[in-house]
Amino acid sequence: MSRPGQKVKLAVHTATGCRACEQGMLDVNNEVSELGRFAEVVFWPYVLGTPWEAVEGGVDVALFAGAIHTEADRQAAMKLRERSKILVSVGACAAFGGLPGLVNLAPPAEPAVAATESEDKPTLPRTEPRALALSQVVEVDYVVPGCPPTQNLLWAATLALVCRGESPARLSYSVARLPEAVAEAITSGVLPPRGTVFAGEKAVCGSCSRVKEEKKSGTCKRPYQAYDLTGRCLLEQGLVCQGVATQEGCGGLCTGVGVPCRGCFGKAPAIMDPGAKMVSAIASTFDSKNAQEIAGLVGSFVDLAGTFYRYSLPSQCALLAPRRG
Amino acid sequence: MSDFEPQIIAFLCNWCTYVAADAAGVSRFIQKPNVRVIRMNCSGMVDPSYIIKAFASGADGVLVGGCWPGDCHYISGNIKAMRRAPLLQKLLGELGMEELRFRLKWIAASEPGPYQKTINEMTEEIRKLGPYKRSAA
Repeated sequence: MSRPGQKVKLAVHTATGCRACEQGMLDVNNEVSELGRFAEVVFWPYVLGTPWEAVEGGVDVALFAGAIHTEADRQAAMKLRERSKILVSVGACAAFGGLPGLVNLAPPAEPAVAATESEDKPTLPRTEPRALALSQVVEVDYVVPGCPPTQNLLWAATLALVCRGESPARLSYSVARLPEAVAEAITSGVLPPRGTVFAGEKAVCGSCSRVKEEKKSGTCKRPYQAYDLTGRCLLEQGLVCQGVATQEGCGGLCTGVGVPCRGCFGKAPAIMDPGAKMVSAIASTFDSKNAQEIAGLVGSFVDLAGTFYRYSLPSQCALLAPRRG
Repeated sequence: MSDFEPQIIAFLCNWCTYVAADAAGVSRFIQKPNVRVIRMNCSGMVDPSYIIKAFASGADGVLVGGCWPGDCHYISGNIKAMRRAPLLQKLLGELGMEELRFRLKWIAASEPGPYQKTINEMTEEIRKLGPYKRSAA
């Protein structure tokens, strides 16, 4: 698509989200100027203040961040799907439902809009009863997970989808660490297969540098309590580290500095349900054979649903995600 | 709700509860026909994802049956089940599921009576709860 003299038309939009993904896109440092040689940004309301009419002429690549939780979000998703050749979910919200998706744990409520409408205030878009991931509303071509997506994967996606192998820009990481399809796309300029997730193939533990000893802890620690910031596996120290259930790709950034993984890359492909995996992983660190002791220990773990499905409740929780087909 | 027939998936340990289920059948104990038995080598190999998948696929209740603590054919498999169950129970509760729908029971090979009782009680209790509705389905 990046034929000489014709730039790729790029659109960027955030639905219900915090816009950190858009910040992340701006955070590719000097690569931004490189991008300007290949892409023409036709629509980016957050940065350029572009109106919606700008997408009418068609878009080659649309980067969509944020969950679908209002009527305006749904319209934006439909419009960008209709006008774009390639639609990319960027960030955990668009990819899995993200933090706004935790609203689904509460019973569906009436839209809280009436009160503001009557008081002569600006009309807010009506909320939908359930927050959804982008792929639950429209067809999505590629996924870049993360909260926000890490610089290198975001840049890998940009190189693969926008520059198509024509960028001389150096990669700040080894191509070998990326999944084969992504690495091939970047180096060859051929689009990766539809549905490619710009992340690793295993769990975060695969790239985590901490020492796993299969020791039992029998405690529940929260990150404010004292533990070894370096060295031993965080899960084995009693922290709720979700690396074991989470898709690799970040390179173990958080666990490397002693922060337990919160699962922002979504579940690893081999896992059916991240919550079930975490129950299994955490229970394996218990050291008791006494039912009452175990019950007491379980009581010290709070908000399991909000923790295990923090970024993925609308789409990856087997019990709450809408049934397919 | 009168014509609702609950579907219960039972993951039974090959060495204890499955034998009890077999003995209950051989002894002609009257049991509710709502249980689908899946024979496992050990209650310790029933991964929480099996249980969640059962519910996600339409089960109204799940029973995990294992040997009494100390009697495990694999020494400590049932202890693993015992450690997982309360944590899973808590997660299921937070996801809006009633506590009675998931149970872990110790039933030895020599206890076909208690097996029959468990099955019949569980079926009736879940019949009262009604079908398991996934809240976003």
